[in-house]
Amino acid sequence: MNELMDLLRGVLAAPFDLLDIPVRAWITDIVNWIVSMFRGFFRAYISPPVRSVMETIQWALSSIPPTVFLLAVFLVAWRSASWKVGLFSVIALALIGFMGVWDQMILTLSLITTAVIFSIIIGLPLGILSSRSDLFYTIIRPILDIMQTTPPFVYLVPAVMLFGIGNVPGLIATIIFGMPPVIRLTNLAIRQVQPDLVEAAVAFGSTRREILTKVQFPLAMPTIMAGVNQTIMLSLSMVVIAAIIGAGGLGLEVYAGLERLNIGQAFVGGIGIVLLAMVLDRITQGLGQKGPGAKEKRSK
Amino acid sequence: MRMLRFEVSFFNGAANDQGGPALIRAEAVTKIFGPNPHSVLPLLEQGQSKDDIQRETSHIIGVCNASFSLEPGEIFVIMGLSGSGKSTLIRCVNRLFEPTSGKIFLNDPDHGEQEITALDQEALRKVRKYQMSMVFQHFALFPHRTVLSNVVYGLEIQGKHKAEREEEGHRVLKMVGLDSWANTYPSELSGGMQQRVGLARGLATQAKVLLMDEPFSALDPLIKVNMQQELVKIQDELARTILFITHDLDEAMRIGNHIAIMEAGEIVQIGTPEEILVNPRTEYVANFVEHADPTGVITAKTIALPLRDKYFDKTHERNGIQYLHRKGGERSIEYGIDDQGKLENVRWDDRNVTVQSLEDAYKAMAEESERRDDTLVTCRGTCVLRDVLRCRSYTSLPIIVTDDSGRVVGLIDEPELITAILEKRGIESGSNESVTTEREAHVAHGND
Repeated sequence: MNELMDLLRGVLAAPFDLLDIPVRAWITDIVNWIVSMFRGFFRAYISPPVRSVMETIQWALSSIPPTVFLLAVFLVAWRSASWKVGLFSVIALALIGFMGVWDQMILTLSLITTAVIFSIIIGLPLGILSSRSDLFYTIIRPILDIMQTTPPFVYLVPAVMLFGIGNVPGLIATIIFGMPPVIRLTNLAIRQVQPDLVEAAVAFGSTRREILTKVQFPLAMPTIMAGVNQTIMLSLSMVVIAAIIGAGGLGLEVYAGLERLNIGQAFVGGIGIVLLAMVLDRITQGLGQKGPGAKEKRSK
Repeated sequence: MRMLRFEVSFFNGAANDQGGPALIRAEAVTKIFGPNPHSVLPLLEQGQSKDDIQRETSHIIGVCNASFSLEPGEIFVIMGLSGSGKSTLIRCVNRLFEPTSGKIFLNDPDHGEQEITALDQEALRKVRKYQMSMVFQHFALFPHRTVLSNVVYGLEIQGKHKAEREEEGHRVLKMVGLDSWANTYPSELSGGMQQRVGLARGLATQAKVLLMDEPFSALDPLIKVNMQQELVKIQDELARTILFITHDLDEAMRIGNHIAIMEAGEIVQIGTPEEILVNPRTEYVANFVEHADPTGVITAKTIALPLRDKYFDKTHERNGIQYLHRKGGERSIEYGIDDQGKLENVRWDDRNVTVQSLEDAYKAMAEESERRDDTLVTCRGTCVLRDVLRCRSYTSLPIIVTDDSGRVVGLIDEPELITAILEKRGIESGSNESVTTEREAHVAHGND
């Protein structure tokens, strides 16, 4: 009887001594296993396309003279949003240039563009699939939660182990971190399309593909663009963190500045990122509002 | 007294409705909503009440055992209150909802007879593309497409070339009077205009069958009447076959060739507007039609006092012409009827009375407002009560009703008009004892 009481007292005092879940060891084992099994595969088949897309974009962007680049940004912002946004974008980017981090900005922009392209290429089909299959969405939802809520530092480690250091592992981490909004909002946007419009499309004999391309997708566009906008913002924040594993650009300015306690350098990088973020945000928001589905005034 | 020989022709004239094979035929269509609809079917077949089944099995019976058929070129109206299953039923016809049991046939001469309920998805899509189109209650226009682009949606799905479908789109838009709005967006149009676009979209595919799910219910009353007239006009031109859903009896009466009345998922009566008005089969239908306006629905042949010896005395016969006098009639008017059954002349106190056709009477009415007491008007049996009343304001004498070949069918005087307006029936037709109360019956006969 007394022994039992002692045991109970011991359990109450220190309940967690009862069981030890060696997650640390498991994860280490799992990651080691994945790395040993797939490192070759990842480096051979995933790195090259990501790298080549990124390098092509970087080459293209950096070969444009800054003045032409500014003019182009103004035109894009003007067409997609307004001349005010155009003017703001030019001033913001010019400031970045005057602070002496133009080349870093171009590299960051290439990284983000690449990450967003891959996020859309992978995320859009997954989003469409989620909107059509409740089962698929139930499965993919916790994965999206994990992708979004895991602190970004955590998956830098496996990224390095699989891809080494440099821009590519940074990009991979960025894509994983930035993709969920595209999937979520594509799913949401398609599900939110008025059921009577889909019914009308069905009543006229549309196939599923026609319903998607002629009705659901155009109407979902503003919401999907909001997802893309979020993805851009998330990617931007991730690109800074990715500097830790060797990604270049404005993030590297911040990281290097912090390491050397060079407050000035870190702030220049930080201001550059903020300005770039604002420019990208305004332009993509404008795109969402002027897109083909923006005529969504209900016909009732 | 010898029976008059004319009455036979009157009764033959009444039964000329059924012609040609049905374009759409629904046989015992049942639609049950719930997790396992087929498990509920046997209960329904065993005759359990719908309420019991709904309470015990948590299934909802949307449509129960509905059968009907549409003749080519008609407007067939399904009428019922909200929740009566009418929208469910129309969606079973093009299988937006899968019927739980029952069969639906489409007999389009260009495509042969098809059992809609047995088609695979591919064939069903073809039917929806080419043979049936639909107009929706809340228009369901695509907000991201222009008016023209909405109208040609069906043609786009059919795979027609851009130039061809836009030409067709403009043609249909002209028909509904919206061609100048072709390049605007639906949100810029008023409700009535939006539904014209919806109608144009439905017409553009050239489908023989047009399903219209409460198309005018969301519109203002004035615009609604406008749209109804327009629909009838377009229908006269195009002769599509229309299945039309409404909860508005007046609308049903105004546009329907046949009306099916639904109550709690079941069709309780199918008939022409007049049949339903004059002869409601159940209490429910009777309540429904009680406040309907009969003047545009009830026809002269229904309310006319038939030429039978029950109602008329033969006063004399001269030159093969029989002279008849209404039993109990106050005025000594005699109707001379020849051996063909046609009206030869009318005498009142040995004077001849002028006999005019309805058309002539209308012309005279346009010129003078004085009411006549020396003219008698004849009209066709298919004239509606409204026309007859208008004649009565023109002359104080009775109106003679003839069939299409000019033979006299009967006569309409004050008592017949009062019965028609108050009770929506003729002296002999529609005397549904269970529905007509004693008091009303008393009024009807006390007037003579």
